[in-house]
Amino acid sequence: MLLEVRDLHVEFRTRDGVAKAVNGVDYGVDAGETLAVLGESGSGKSVTAQAVMGILDMPPGRITGGEILFQGRDLLRLKEEERRKVRGAEMAMIFQDALSSLNPVLTVGDQLGEMFVVHRGMSRKDARAKAVELMDRVRIPAAKERVRQYPHQFSGGMRQRIMIAMALALEPALIIADEPTTALDVTVQAQVMELLAELRREYRMGLILITHDLGVVADVADKIAVMYAGRIVESAPVHDIYKAPAHPYTRGLLDSIPRLDQKGRQLYAIKGLPPNLMDIPPGCAFHPRCPLAQDVCRTDVPPLYEVTDSDADRGSACHFWRECLHG
Amino acid sequence: MASAPATASAEPILEVSGLYKHYPLTQGILFKKQVGSVKAVDGVDFTLRRGETLGIVGESGCGKSTVAKMLVNLERPTAGSIKYKGEDITKLSGRALKAVRRNIQMVFQDPYTSLNPRMTVGDIIGEPYDIHPEVAPKGDRRRRVRELLDVVGLNPEYINRYPHQFSGGQRQRIGIARGLALRPEVIVADEPVSALDVSVQAQVINLMDRLQNEFDLSYVFIAHDLSIVRHISDRVGVMYLGRIVEIGKDAEIYDHPTHPYTQALLSAVPVPDPEAREHRERIILAGDVPSPTNIPSGCRFRTRCWKAQERCAQEVPALVVPPHLRGRGGPEAHDSACHFAEAGSVMRSAPGQVVPTEAES
Ligand SMILES: Nc1ncnc2c1ncn2[C@@H]1O[C@H](COP(=O)(O)OP(=O)(O)OP(=O)(O)O)[C@@H](O)[C@H]1O
Ligand SMILES: Nc1ncnc2c1ncn2[C@@H]1O[C@H](COP(=O)(O)OP(=O)(O)O)[C@@H](O)[C@H]1O
Ligand code: SF4
Ligand code: SF4
Ligand SMILES: [Mg+2]
Ligand SMILES: [Mg+2]
Repeated sequence: MLLEVRDLHVEFRTRDGVAKAVNGVDYGVDAGETLAVLGESGSGKSVTAQAVMGILDMPPGRITGGEILFQGRDLLRLKEEERRKVRGAEMAMIFQDALSSLNPVLTVGDQLGEMFVVHRGMSRKDARAKAVELMDRVRIPAAKERVRQYPHQFSGGMRQRIMIAMALALEPALIIADEPTTALDVTVQAQVMELLAELRREYRMGLILITHDLGVVADVADKIAVMYAGRIVESAPVHDIYKAPAHPYTRGLLDSIPRLDQKGRQLYAIKGLPPNLMDIPPGCAFHPRCPLAQDVCRTDVPPLYEVTDSDADRGSACHFWRECLHG
Repeated sequence: MASAPATASAEPILEVSGLYKHYPLTQGILFKKQVGSVKAVDGVDFTLRRGETLGIVGESGCGKSTVAKMLVNLERPTAGSIKYKGEDITKLSGRALKAVRRNIQMVFQDPYTSLNPRMTVGDIIGEPYDIHPEVAPKGDRRRRVRELLDVVGLNPEYINRYPHQFSGGQRQRIGIARGLALRPEVIVADEPVSALDVSVQAQVINLMDRLQNEFDLSYVFIAHDLSIVRHISDRVGVMYLGRIVEIGKDAEIYDHPTHPYTQALLSAVPVPDPEAREHRERIILAGDVPSPTNIPSGCRFRTRCWKAQERCAQEVPALVVPPHLRGRGGPEAHDSACHFAEAGSVMRSAPGQVVPTEAES
């Protein structure tokens, strides 16, 4: 495994109380593989990613347990200085909002080149040449001229491609893309996803793709981890999960998306709202919204059961995964 | 909506023709000199019939919200007419305008910023009554507001709470309740669920569906999510750079698109079905949308169109049933602003997913 997150716990201490944002996350990704992390806003997707990257806001954030194994080393035990070397060179992150993650007063060429100057000790001139090459790679037309332009002079899709170029610069082993296309239109979204998939194949990178869009996931992922209230509630290869989900939350998500090909009168809607992280329901956190809930769900936290009825490597944090899978 | 009896025979409630909104681009501080204009809306025509839902889709910046604002009179058109039951509302003023405006209400995109944080939910929903006191006499307002809360599925006891005490989905319900306060006939909904999570989106869509039947509403439903628009719409218009380039019944647009832009847009929709991804072809459009200050001559889509020819740069294609498709009839014969509109051989890569086979990338 290239990256393995084990039983990660993160909380935020705020004025109003302690928000338990991540409550025992386990996931892993191999070289050349795409893991999609799926879940509603607030389910802890970004916080987990920030912990992996080592860019969590601390305080108010605090990692209260777990391990993050990257190429065999536990990142949580590294000194900040070593951590910094890993970040950027060995793993990189692409953020949702490209405009605000680029520096508005520097040309994109300077920002791209900076990576080579700092990490590779290149001269400014060589770094600029590298920047042009990268912009070509992510298919920005007229890269030679545009390398001198500022972020606001590019369209949203192009800015996202520049962010991708920046993440790729040092050919990291792992890329984490946090909702890389949520702010973009479908046609541009398609361009960006295509590019990411191609680059991943070419460089054999591991890719963690965070999203709440089930369509995007089906298009590009190898496997999926579904998050709810700071836990992975289901993990499975992408084909299996769409065919037969083993967790009622996943099932609800799949049923509630309108599809181009199904024009029913009523959409299925998961009742209720995601939980307040300061006051997560006891037992299974999903029980107040779950159509399959029984008494045991209100008291006993379901572990991530192995889904033994399947040939694939699957897990479900539901006491009644079997009923869900076959129901 | 999906199965509402709205048909071609129902009477038009809104008729929009030749609608333009150009924002001047100026330079200089002391003497403002106009150096060009942002052509946000650049010739839009459509008809909305009673009881019908017309969906409008298109990429960011194509002018959807600007159209919406003109429909509810938040913006004055640069040119064109908007007829409500035959009367051009862009020519009205004073009392006559006020009376019409009551009947066309808007629900906004962003449930987080469109509600005044310092007003209680009761005041927000009841605010339209200040402008139209004839609808609800002062003593009756709170009762009406409670009723509206109940209609949209919120507890009437919440009447004194503030917006921040509600989730996104609940706030969108508040926005809808406010939109309903004056008992309008037309609701213009600008991306009403785009900011919401999938699980909550479905709740709000179902609510809008129910209300349409209950109050005999006509909807203009704007969104960039093509699946949601298909779910809710009877007819769909596709916008590109300020203009509708194709419009028709939902099946005509989704299953038999003839405009290259619609075909590209549909092929790019991610399908929630991993089985489909092996045998689906995508049209990945080259380049970016041109700036609305500088719209290409002839067909505005030509800079990204893989079928563009000489003629496309010379001649603006009209939004009509293309002459070569007219004779044949069938679902391909609907309005499409393309000189070379054609269905192409349609391939289904997922059930209902339409992809033209001669796709280039
Ligand atoms: N007041 C204004 N002054 C100048 N330009 C404007 C103004 N309002 C809108 N525009 C421009 O008009 C174009 C259309 O904007 P509009 O808000 O209608 O787009 P939209 O289709 O609703 O996009 P989105 O999907 O992002 O909401 C854009 O290029 C926008 O920048
Ligand atoms: N810096 C912070 N301070 C306090 N709470 C935070 C902070 N960052 C994230 N959180 C909380 O942690 C929870 C999970 O957030 P996040 O991982 O960003 O969710 P998502 O799954 O949408 O990416 C949320 O309730 C969020 O409000
Ligand atoms: S454990 Fe119980 S409440 Fe939780 S998902 Fe399974 S059935 Fe539903
Ligand atoms: S008119 Fe020409 S450029 Fe425009 S969509 Fe048709 S083929 Fe393409
Ligand atoms: Mg996030
Ligand atoms: Mg808009």
